[in-house]
Amino acid sequence: MNAVLLSGLLGVVMMFASFLFRTKAPVRILAILGMAVLLVANVLDTKGIHFFHVNTTGFLSFTGYALFFNTIVIACTLIFFLISSKDMQKVGNHYAEYFALIFFILTGIFLVTAFTNLLILFIGIEIISIPLYILTGSAKKDLKSNEAALKYFLMGAFSTGVMLMGIALIYGATGTFDITKMNIAGLLKSNLLTAGMLMLLFSMCFKVSIAPFHFWTPDVYDGAPNVFTSFMATIVKVGIFVGFLHLFYTAFDAIALQWKIWMAVLAALTLLVGNITAVFQQSVKRMLAYSSISQAGFMLFALVAMNETAHEGLLLYAIAYCLATIGVFGIISKMTDYSFDGFNGLAGHQPLVALCVAIFMLSLAGIPLSAGFLAKFYMLKAVIQAGGYMWLVIFGVLMAAVSAYYYFRVIQAMYFKEGPNHFSGISAFEKCVLVGICVLIVFTGLFPNIIFGWMYF
Amino acid sequence: MVNLAIQTNLDTSGSYLPIGLQLLFAAGMIVTLMGVTHLLGPKRRTADKLQNFASGIESHGEARQPIAIKYFLTAILFVLFDVEVIFFYPYAVNFRELGWSGFYAVLLFVAFFLCGFIYIIRRGALKWED
Amino acid sequence: MPINYYITLALCLFAIGVVGVLTRRNAIIVFMCIELMLNSVNLLLVAFSKMHHLAKGAAATAGTDGQLFVFFIMVVAAAEVSVGLAIIVMMYRNVHSININFLNRLKH
Repeated sequence: MNAVLLSGLLGVVMMFASFLFRTKAPVRILAILGMAVLLVANVLDTKGIHFFHVNTTGFLSFTGYALFFNTIVIACTLIFFLISSKDMQKVGNHYAEYFALIFFILTGIFLVTAFTNLLILFIGIEIISIPLYILTGSAKKDLKSNEAALKYFLMGAFSTGVMLMGIALIYGATGTFDITKMNIAGLLKSNLLTAGMLMLLFSMCFKVSIAPFHFWTPDVYDGAPNVFTSFMATIVKVGIFVGFLHLFYTAFDAIALQWKIWMAVLAALTLLVGNITAVFQQSVKRMLAYSSISQAGFMLFALVAMNETAHEGLLLYAIAYCLATIGVFGIISKMTDYSFDGFNGLAGHQPLVALCVAIFMLSLAGIPLSAGFLAKFYMLKAVIQAGGYMWLVIFGVLMAAVSAYYYFRVIQAMYFKEGPNHFSGISAFEKCVLVGICVLIVFTGLFPNIIFGWMYF
Repeated sequence: MVNLAIQTNLDTSGSYLPIGLQLLFAAGMIVTLMGVTHLLGPKRRTADKLQNFASGIESHGEARQPIAIKYFLTAILFVLFDVEVIFFYPYAVNFRELGWSGFYAVLLFVAFFLCGFIYIIRRGALKWED
Repeated sequence: MPINYYITLALCLFAIGVVGVLTRRNAIIVFMCIELMLNSVNLLLVAFSKMHHLAKGAAATAGTDGQLFVFFIMVVAAAEVSVGLAIIVMMYRNVHSININFLNRLKH
């Protein structure tokens, strides 16, 4: 509970920070400090020290898994602030408000990871979505940003409508919103329940951009300001994914036969569409948008498997995917040309930055010794353990091989081609952060047991 | 405890009879009044009479003028703050049962609410004159 | 009245909303159709809440959570309206149109 209330309060504080400070530097420092406080508060919560005593029975339950995941989310957001907060100044004049909105989004993510009531799921998803619409359109004069915001808003509101219809039908069938008390095993033949469950499934797929509900993703990720694309493609996506897993694991496990095959087909379709389209992109930003779709396909493996390994794998995937993508976007927002050609010869101009990009790309592609490899390995292992979906595993490996093509294209452009410098410069501190992210990625890849040790201490 | 359910029984179709009668009466009233005024009223059509009435001044321009964005912002903020009041209804129904803890919860809600209100005032969103 | 009538009515409204979203090209009308979808859900939730309240052996408070959910939907919908209209106005200021067929700048 610490993190939920504190992040809400910090959001309000950041809102008023825009009046308190005339310059931007104190706002940024306040936001980073606030995020650090949030991290400490959440770790203390994990250790059993609660700042606030609120009775949340029947609405929220902060399990160790949820709290550990929240720690990951906060840590990733802290890293995101450290590397990208300076670039947020370029977006518009409302610097403090952007931080406030990000704090509010975190509140939503904490609710979505810990809900036990569909009401909280709905509110959490909306608290995530509504600030994101604003962040997407925050570059007010940029037509692409406007368009992305309108598109995202219309699609998001539509999928919210579908989700609510699903919740209403489930309520009609079970008589409760509490996912632990639904007693679904007694309602195997209920049409209302099946229809509601499918609608929930579709709308959640919408929110995490699973094919065929992914069509908004490339446009929105492409049009939004770089820094916010980074945030919503990583932290928000994995946050909603944990809620998705929690929902189906807790509520609908009893009717798994009805939806598991759908889930497997969706995962395969997402991998196919995401990877094949990413191959043909000319802009690295748009390529990363499609790569985020294909990574979502891998994360969906957790919902096909539905076992302990899947839970651990999703955590690892969250770490690996968030770190690498935040790093790449941190660099992209400092480039003047996002196309593959813009990366030509980067190794000559900025050897350290190029090395970091190479490590991020290798991790995203899932090359051994990186966190990305381990994450993919855990996902495949989880599906093998669950049994029955061997074709999906083989298909996943095949698609991972395809994905290597477009990730390596960036590395090839940096190291084996010549071109003018499109990099606008980076401070020594941000370089340190980049190196830190690389170290974290390799460290997670080498010693995953330490991470799980923290989880189960 | 929370109890919002309405206790009347709606299951008999006979209980819809008054509503049907009301609808019929309303429709009949409108048709009759319109018909009667149409039949009895004197009619003299001239160009002057068909013009819009603007206190004798020549009318100019369109009636559908674009509205200033200031108005739009105020309207949106009104919608936002207006709907929040809905949460006072369940509280009002269970005012006594919820006791002090309920009161503190509502105070917290209003406090968050006020933060937003102070924010929009400080931002100047409600300033009508430039 | 049997619950089936309410379900049919709500699903009809919902379907009208969905078809509107998919076929209309005016951003405001698309938006109104989304609101129609949300309101059909409200209607259905209230009907189900009444049904669960009248069920045999139900507790005195059964079904109230459905009505509370409706309150939350209304408030969230209002928040969504304010953000959405602001986005539409921002768009209109820049391109002087709210036709969503113009939304093709991102397709290369």
